[in-house]
Amino acid sequence: MFVLTGDPLDPGPLVAAVRTDDVGAVALFFGVVRNENLGRAVRYLEYDAYPEMAITKMKEVAGEVRAKFPVTGVGAMHRVGRLEIGETSLLVAVASPHRVEAFAACHYAVDRIKQIVPIWKKEVWEDGEEWIEGNVPDVPPDSSRS
Amino acid sequence: MPTVSLRLYAGLKDMVGARDLDLRLPEGATVGHLRERLGDEYPAVRAMLSVLVFAVDEEYVPSSHLLREGDHVALIPPVSGGSRCSS
Repeated sequence: MFVLTGDPLDPGPLVAAVRTDDVGAVALFFGVVRNENLGRAVRYLEYDAYPEMAITKMKEVAGEVRAKFPVTGVGAMHRVGRLEIGETSLLVAVASPHRVEAFAACHYAVDRIKQIVPIWKKEVWEDGEEWIEGNVPDVPPDSSRS
Repeated sequence: MPTVSLRLYAGLKDMVGARDLDLRLPEGATVGHLRERLGDEYPAVRAMLSVLVFAVDEEYVPSSHLLREGDHVALIPPVSGGSRCSS
């Protein structure tokens, strides 16, 4: 299950989507909107996204996770639009027969989502706002023809 | 003279003031040429050009990628999905 939505994120359906009867552990990550960043009070966040490509890239991350870890299920949901303090912006669920692999794979998936999925956040403070520039995604090497 | 459709996001969209732009490029233009052209036409975005990447058909493409008539090109500033916890 890979979802981009303007609605509040519900972990229940995501966990249900990744869990199968051979699963002994589901690692579930919540990314939550915090009230400060670098000492500055944050009022709320605003997320922008390239929706179709965001889904494509979330699936690509899931493929990487499956290639690197013995997991049986991977899913992710990201919220877009305005998010208030305490709301969930990202959910990642990874299912595996055992917990060690589930934790490691979930950690990897969150890192990769933040590196390559085309989603952006703007912090809005009392006295201004700024789009946060995070990671520059990897681009295939130049070739003479493409 | 291919015309490509550009889609802008986040800070870049705010700087230019538009989500979508059409740009006519010389025959044989690549993503690298597009990057230069953006700097010429929109001086406000010059500071961001070095970290901007481009996507065609939902895939990141290198500077050498040849642009064709009707291509939809997404201009991707550094991404910042998720929360701030691990950065």
